[in-house]
Amino acid sequence: MTDVYLCCDTITGLYSAIYDAWREHREGEAKIAVQGNMEPELFCEYQEVKESQKKARAVEQLIRVNLGEEAYKELYYALLSKDAGKGNAVFWTMQEARKLKDSRKIMEHLDHPAVAKVFELSRNVANEAHCFIEFIRFRELKNGILFSEIAPKNQILTCIGEHFADRFPLENFMIFDKTHQVFLVHKEKSPWYLLWGEVPSEEAIHCVSDKELEYEKLWKNFFHTIAIEERKNPACQRNHLPIRYRADMPEFGE
Amino acid sequence: MYDKIQEKMSIYDKLHILSDAAKYDVACTSSGVDRKGDGRGMGNCSSAGICHSFSADGRCVSLLKILFTNECIYDCKYCINRSSNDVLRTSFTPEEVCTLTMEFYRRNYIEGLFLSSGVLKSPDYTMELIYATLYQLRHVYHFQGYIHVKTIPGADAEIIKRVGFLADRMSVNLELPTAEGLKLLAPHKNRRNILAPMRLVQNKANENKQEIALYKNTPQFVPAGQSTQMIIGATPETDFQILNVAESLYKKFELKRVFYSAFVPVNKECSLLPKRTEEGPPLLREHRLYQADWLLRFYHFEAQELLDEKNPNFNIFLDPKCNWALKHLEYFPVEVNRADYRMLLRVPGIGCKSASRIVKARRFGNLRFEDLKKMGVVLKRALYFLTCSGKMLYPVKVEEDYITRNLLRTKEKLPDSMTYQQLSLFDDMGFGEKQARQIVSQS
Repeated sequence: MTDVYLCCDTITGLYSAIYDAWREHREGEAKIAVQGNMEPELFCEYQEVKESQKKARAVEQLIRVNLGEEAYKELYYALLSKDAGKGNAVFWTMQEARKLKDSRKIMEHLDHPAVAKVFELSRNVANEAHCFIEFIRFRELKNGILFSEIAPKNQILTCIGEHFADRFPLENFMIFDKTHQVFLVHKEKSPWYLLWGEVPSEEAIHCVSDKELEYEKLWKNFFHTIAIEERKNPACQRNHLPIRYRADMPEFGE
Repeated sequence: MYDKIQEKMSIYDKLHILSDAAKYDVACTSSGVDRKGDGRGMGNCSSAGICHSFSADGRCVSLLKILFTNECIYDCKYCINRSSNDVLRTSFTPEEVCTLTMEFYRRNYIEGLFLSSGVLKSPDYTMELIYATLYQLRHVYHFQGYIHVKTIPGADAEIIKRVGFLADRMSVNLELPTAEGLKLLAPHKNRRNILAPMRLVQNKANENKQEIALYKNTPQFVPAGQSTQMIIGATPETDFQILNVAESLYKKFELKRVFYSAFVPVNKECSLLPKRTEEGPPLLREHRLYQADWLLRFYHFEAQELLDEKNPNFNIFLDPKCNWALKHLEYFPVEVNRADYRMLLRVPGIGCKSASRIVKARRFGNLRFEDLKKMGVVLKRALYFLTCSGKMLYPVKVEEDYITRNLLRTKEKLPDSMTYQQLSLFDDMGFGEKQARQIVSQS
């Protein structure tokens, strides 16, 4: 019987599951599954993980110290993926790293299937995060807050918080992840944080400032004039800027 | 009259005219400098550059690309703003440029400002206006995002230097690949006037690097370096000539980028310019030049390896790297588990990133073809040139005709809706449709 550790789809949940799996099976077989995103298997024993900050911090520390900051970032990004196999890939990568003489080189070991999987997931998350750094659009609400809503496939908010906080230190801004129902909140001159369990008020987020429509109009004007008619090329445009990002971008609205 | 027009026109109309006039400038990159925000204003920079949108022609929109004014005292044949053209003229005020930049930036529409300009009154006068704008943006609005600014040829060295301390990147357009072309189409400009500010910025930037090494808080001069652009297909230069010009610009002027701009006829009545209303701009040629440019900058190729006097133009059907590999089959196949990094870089289908991943991963054991695929190697192209532990992926002949035929069948991924049927595009490369057909039937 293989032990399967069941947890929530959050970093704390996954790290806690890895903590339990690591304590009991660091040499042997174990699996990690995310509640609501798994297929039950035969000959497995399922156990729900008791999640705690303490376990999560211990695992984070374990990875940072033994595998180094770079590998830590890759494992962390992989855990933000929408892929159901992410827990396993990370856990097995940690097991493989133990076997290496220099565990810090683990992410170079791309011919190992779990490492290759972590590499693939992390790259996918990083790419999506980068796309949102590019394509997120803010609108100014009546109360001066810059507001944005996005629909990412992976949980990328923590990957982009630092970028925007550094860029707009004097702004109050909020990004709402519609897929995972999470807010990223930044108050001027303060660090950003995530906010779960709230939904935006439809009325408030559509009540924009007086200048907002004018700048939106100016932006659309610029966006359309900058294209060269003789070089028109929708296929190339779609390649770089897939349709799914366009729903929340003013230049692609009417 | 200039003042009157400016008063009447709305910011909406000005933006329309002055972005329309700026759109033929190619560079819209925001790359080359990493800068954190200082917490007191707005903005930061990321050295890889960030695109914020893609326009209908598939080009990246990263910067607010505008002219300060489309007034111009020069009369360059290829330019829409030439003094003899009857177009509506207008100018921004520094204040307007700043507001647009800041408001676009905080909505995450753009990464910064790309300010170019027609020549109003004199090069010095224009450059002063640009300086006033950048000064306000940096010191009144505390903007720390990206600024790319065009140097106006002929402007005084002192004002160019002052602008350089406010901008991240500066560029002077080379306009046309050779001095003869320039003389023909841009009678008011000359090569010396263009190269002088380029040299000035280069020297000042090198001086500045040494100062920074000594004193950490020295202000930075053009930290993202210089770039230039030239128009392709308006004058009869060969690809070999163009690539040599680019190579010497990289070597002698330490440019960060050379941009190529497929000629679009905006002034249709001019007898000196090629007529190409039906064919459209030479996009495939431009694409091949960019591919070769990449090989020069990141793959340790030299211009004379890729082309020569006898073959002065790029192959229509194959990208420059494949083309080189096919002419040098004596180096292939290459053993993935042993070849050095530089040789791996020369294999079609392997890029810089995958080559470095291969070099690292093979320390853990022999690599197989399926591993290569996961590392990002394009096997459908690489398979003719690689062995893994002595074996090729399929039994293939290392033979020019055979590989050419198969590579053509895989169809290269072109960035546009370009297809191989658009043979008329190739006329300007010295290839007639008939010759092109011959190449196809040969293989």
